[in-house]
Amino acid sequence: MSAEILPYLIIIPLFGAFSMPMVNLAGRKAREAWAVLISGATLAVGSWVFYWVYEKGTVLYTLGAKSPFGQANFPIRIVWEVDLFGALMVLMVTFVAFMAVIYSLGYMRHDTGLDKYYTLIIILELGMLGIAITGDLFNFYVFLEIMSIASYALVAFRNDTWEAIEAGIKYMFVGSVASSLILLGIALLYGEYGTLTMGYLALKLSQNPTIVGKVALALFISGLLFKSGASPVHMWLADAHPAAPSSISAMLSGLVIKIGGIYALARIAFSIYGASVSVKTVGWLIILFACITLIVGNAMAVIQTDMKRLLAYSSVGQIGYILLGIGIGLAAYGSQTGEIALAGAIYHTFNHALMKGLLFLIAGAVIHQLGTRDLNELSGLAKTMPKTTFAFLIGAAAIIGMPPLNGFASKWLIYESSALFNPVLGAIAIIGTAFCTAAYVRVLYTFFGRPSERVMEAKDPEKSMLWPMLILTIAIIVMGLFPWGISDKVMIPAAKALENQLAYVATLMGGG
Amino acid sequence: MNCVGDDMGVIVRTAARATIPLIGIFGSYIVAHGHLTPGGGFQGGATIAGAGILFLLAFGLDEMKKRYNKNLYSALEGIGGLAFLGAAMLGIGVAFFYNTLWHNGPFFSGKPGTLLSAGFLPIMNLAVGLKVFTGLVSAMAGLALYRRWRE
Amino acid sequence: MIQFQFITAFLLIVLGIYAFLAKNNLLKLILALDIIDSGIHLLLISLGYRIELNEIPTAPIYTGYETLKSPMVGPLPQALVLTSIVIGVCVLALAMALTVNAYRHYGTLDVRALRRLRG
Repeated sequence: MSAEILPYLIIIPLFGAFSMPMVNLAGRKAREAWAVLISGATLAVGSWVFYWVYEKGTVLYTLGAKSPFGQANFPIRIVWEVDLFGALMVLMVTFVAFMAVIYSLGYMRHDTGLDKYYTLIIILELGMLGIAITGDLFNFYVFLEIMSIASYALVAFRNDTWEAIEAGIKYMFVGSVASSLILLGIALLYGEYGTLTMGYLALKLSQNPTIVGKVALALFISGLLFKSGASPVHMWLADAHPAAPSSISAMLSGLVIKIGGIYALARIAFSIYGASVSVKTVGWLIILFACITLIVGNAMAVIQTDMKRLLAYSSVGQIGYILLGIGIGLAAYGSQTGEIALAGAIYHTFNHALMKGLLFLIAGAVIHQLGTRDLNELSGLAKTMPKTTFAFLIGAAAIIGMPPLNGFASKWLIYESSALFNPVLGAIAIIGTAFCTAAYVRVLYTFFGRPSERVMEAKDPEKSMLWPMLILTIAIIVMGLFPWGISDKVMIPAAKALENQLAYVATLMGGG
Repeated sequence: MNCVGDDMGVIVRTAARATIPLIGIFGSYIVAHGHLTPGGGFQGGATIAGAGILFLLAFGLDEMKKRYNKNLYSALEGIGGLAFLGAAMLGIGVAFFYNTLWHNGPFFSGKPGTLLSAGFLPIMNLAVGLKVFTGLVSAMAGLALYRRWRE
Repeated sequence: MIQFQFITAFLLIVLGIYAFLAKNNLLKLILALDIIDSGIHLLLISLGYRIELNEIPTAPIYTGYETLKSPMVGPLPQALVLTSIVIGVCVLALAMALTVNAYRHYGTLDVRALRRLRG
């Protein structure tokens, strides 16, 4: 079992964040170089972890000792357990976070207090990586809170504007209540079963499923749906994501709601509760929320005039698709349809991180050049910012699901499985896409329209902002070239790894 | 009017002068004995930070501004975190957070119950104590130093 | 035997949720969050206190463990509560900073005034 590389995923960002106040004394160049270096090193480690898990299978790492068993005959130590799904999330987080840090170099140039900004962005990355790799429920809560606190602070980073403060306060209250619900669920589970290790908890739950376990599951689902911005409680998302600096919006929309919401939900529903509750009921519950989210998010996106707000509502809509995939995966647990739906959900999670990251970075570039994000004032941007508009065209086409790009494959998997599972759900998914198309076509229509006077002096942004956008565009196009190859080689095995609760438990119990 | 900007009078100042060292010593005791008795880095650090907050309240903001250096406190907080991380990484050959000092290390490996025992725990307690003290004082000073908006 | 600690924890959580929904002052909302957290902490810490064989457990100090007659309370919930308290302090500090900023921008602590973002 060679997993010595895994703790560096946490050590490197932690080291970078703690040493930032001292590096800051050496001036702004040192600070920026340090932030890029740290996130780049994390990307390297993340890629290595993904490669390792892809080649060798699930990795188990015990904190503080060789094996998770002490002198007892059950695991008592904190463990980190990474299966292919987790490894894919690690790769996604490190990649998009690296792009966001590079982008910040140019985008945040005119702000003050940047040492805190870079510290927080690295801590945000650390929290998300921790959630992706952890195999212990309380450890998961700690990382969730690290991530959440960093994102509250980053949403309110520009505290001289009322918008950031209001959005930050709303986000913080909703997020804190959601965290409390999750902590309550963890407390109930600990009181009932006396363990916090996910794999062992799954074992105990399947031996003796009680009502307390179900109450805890209800608390987890409600808390995590809050955190992922599902529809009845999506209002904080539409406020918080536009108010943050654009590089942070890209991370919030692309990563935080997925890792802190979708990934955690899937992990808890499949790896802990997979064998001990009626997955059909839970699946239909999630499908219900998914359908509401899908319609509301995409429909609200159509009527927005604020570019970043449109993108935020579109995120709500896309979360609906991912939840739909997870829900069908639960409701059709064990069948071919469920597997396809789950693979589609995982694929779409990854794709949406790239696409929404790209779109928010573009919105940031537009704001940086023109100082406005009102769509009515942005007409004719294609003339003066051609590269940016091209990147937006690619991103929008991908998020709608145009065939040669990566969004097509993942959406197709979700449509196919939902139509197979229940045709009504397929129809709802298509309606959502129609709204989504309308929203993005409207933005593109504005961009290609007659140039207004205001956009005449705009030009493409500087290199440090342009390169992340171009790299993300290239990633989208390249992933679109091999849609089914990626799906068969990575996404289906990831879905199988997530579904296979027995293997998850066996890795833990056999690790000693 | 007595807002945070000025001190709280001679009685409070004298009492504070007498109690601040005692609070500091008690907090240091809690930090240093964290691995033996209830308490530890966070509780002790918070207690010492209580002394700092008492100083701020009793002597006023102007006096605090003279003694408080933002960069120094940020750097100390970072050093606390780095020391914690370093202590956790001592046993990286076996596992992250492996207590190598206690199992085979040269010091801090005494009989359980004595001060020089428990491996990296005393180091971690000191590091966390430093970090919590500087962090809480910085947070308090940050709130107090906030730009007045009605004056 | 009635376990009053669980009832108290439940009451605290319900009280906190009530205050969170019914109050409009930002500071009171922060207090409500703290009350919910306190309830959960009480629940967690009382999970470690189990009376077995009519023996009252003592504090988990491992020094002189061999000579100890009565059982100890579980130390793990205490560690969990401590971690959770630290997180609570972070959230509290951040909430206070945001509240100060909100007062600067809006001139009031009423959450009903924080409604400029719409649509």
